Amino acid sequence: MKKTVCHLLLCACSLLAARGVLAHHSFSAEYDNEKPITLSGKVTEMKWSNPHGWIYMDVTGDDGKVTNWALETSAANGLIRRGWRKEDLPAGTVLQVEGWQARNGSSTGNIRSVTLSDGRRLFAGTSNQGAQEEK
Amino acid sequence: MLRISLLLSACLAGVVQAQEVPRTSSGKPDLQGIWQVNGSVGYDLEAHVARHDMPPGLGIVAEGAIPYLPAALAQKQSNFTERAALDPLNRCWLPGTPRVMLLDSPFEIFQTDTELALTFEWQQVYRVIYTNGEASLYEGIESWMGHSRGQWEGDTLVVTVKDFNDRSWLDAAGNHHSAGLQLDERYQMVDADTINYEVTLTDPAVYSKPWTIRAELQRQPGKPRILENQCQAEKEEANGDFERVDFSWYPAPVPADNMPFNAAASNPPPLPAVGADIRRLPNGKPDLSGYFMTDAGGANYGLEDTPGGFLMPDARGVVKDPADGQLPYQAWARAERIERELPHRGYDDPTAHCFVAGIPRSLYVPSPFHIVQTDNNLVFLHERMAWRLVALNRTQHLPDNIRLWQGDSIGRWQGDTLVVETRNFNGKGWHNEVGDIMSHMQTMVETFTPVSADKVIYRATVSDPIPYTQPWTIELPLDRMADELLEVACMEDNNDLQHLKDVRDEYRAQQGSN
Repeated sequence: MKKTVCHLLLCACSLLAARGVLAHHSFSAEYDNEKPITLSGKVTEMKWSNPHGWIYMDVTGDDGKVTNWALETSAANGLIRRGWRKEDLPAGTVLQVEGWQARNGSSTGNIRSVTLSDGRRLFAGTSNQGAQEEK
Repeated sequence: MLRISLLLSACLAGVVQAQEVPRTSSGKPDLQGIWQVNGSVGYDLEAHVARHDMPPGLGIVAEGAIPYLPAALAQKQSNFTERAALDPLNRCWLPGTPRVMLLDSPFEIFQTDTELALTFEWQQVYRVIYTNGEASLYEGIESWMGHSRGQWEGDTLVVTVKDFNDRSWLDAAGNHHSAGLQLDERYQMVDADTINYEVTLTDPAVYSKPWTIRAELQRQPGKPRILENQCQAEKEEANGDFERVDFSWYPAPVPADNMPFNAAASNPPPLPAVGADIRRLPNGKPDLSGYFMTDAGGANYGLEDTPGGFLMPDARGVVKDPADGQLPYQAWARAERIERELPHRGYDDPTAHCFVAGIPRSLYVPSPFHIVQTDNNLVFLHERMAWRLVALNRTQHLPDNIRLWQGDSIGRWQGDTLVVETRNFNGKGWHNEVGDIMSHMQTMVETFTPVSADKVIYRATVSDPIPYTQPWTIELPLDRMADELLEVACMEDNNDLQHLKDVRDEYRAQQGSN
């Protein structure tokens, strides 16, 4: 019970400081505003890392070819303070994500929104204020 | 009879030792000071002859050999063979615990009744050992350095460390552990200049039984403070991956259009009033300790009022002097600052390389920090794994030829405001992601004014005659919160830098072909 209360308090603090705890390191230099992406697929791995987390996801194209995308999120410490834990996103989890592709044209993206198949949303970085407030 | 006299001697020795060690005001052994392990014991914990990359040693494993399970022993042998390529320390990654305690490099201990901070010269790594009796808020979250909780058993500090990842090594010889490792550390001060340091390692997935290392930590006399050893920054500067600006230390050429710097033009507004309900230490000074988050207003994306753009947040503007909110740039420096916003310059920001963010940037990067305050020092522990010392017990800065990313800070109390003067910067940093400029001639006066129990108003007045025409002052509120630091191991998983380098290299190739 005590832990739950602590987590609730932490979430409240995180929301208050939401703008502050996000990292945006040079994203605008890496990613292309003119290459928005919306992808659906299955998680192959999530790295709960800092300065930014990474979701690796298999996406099946219209031609049936499977591409493994590397998708950059905000820092893991922000996700942890929001109450997310490693176990919440195991390999095989089905996700839909929105974001932007890297300037170098690789299968790499910066994602602003992550939606699980049950409708829960994992906050995932970017300057979009609305997205920042989402969990 | 012999046994009785031995016992008696041991008891007497204990009494003598107890009288000799320095003690805190609450009567605990005072572990504060600068320390380093005795001997080059951190290369290989087990006994070994000399090798091309390490000196010989008798080993510090009490049992003689580490009791590996068969598969783990094979892993160790493989690590040993491939150590030049695989040792995390060769990549400047976090050393982990207990390895960090055993490096050929000094560290400093700061101690209060509720916590100890251990700050290491190597890569500005730190540990916090909480002795407040409370469990970690983040139990189970993996980290390189582990979560440390300590208690005093008589005069011995006993610390449990757990929540490790499986990526750090125990030494340079490839001795290793799993994420299930638990350490039980014992710090026993045997005289004013010696701490017996003992660690028992328990990890059933890797070892057949718990085992113990014993080392001696020695006080390092004659050092005014420990310095910075930014391993990654030095490596990248040496191999050309990081190109420092020509107005970093030393000596920078003065730009052709340099205008006179008018130091007298500084005119910040008066300091805010100290609150009536502020927290105080037993010595009566304001208590600035604890976990803080800055209400940064996007200062990491612009100190001036700057509208956000694609993947860049708004910056509300934190410049209080000059009154127009604009930094007083010289023309060439303003041009350079605008150029730094372009995508191909993103690679040049030192924090993109995970180098230490510097001052005052560490106060407004989007990460919290924790202050440990003693009578003689404040140490700032930044979540993005860097510490900064503010000495209250020194009056002389380091010699001019010692230059640091974070400078050398000396503080004093002016009433209830902490005033900190910093110089000895290396001038290699950026003030934020849009590249507000600093040079090696930068000096800084910061003030920390507690205005209520949990709010501190922070000011920094920067004087830097190479890029600016006069001093300028920023102001930011710091909010104390009920939270604790998580570990941010930046370069260990930094996948951004190569992308930024690709963008820069493509730009340079285009410029070259035009």
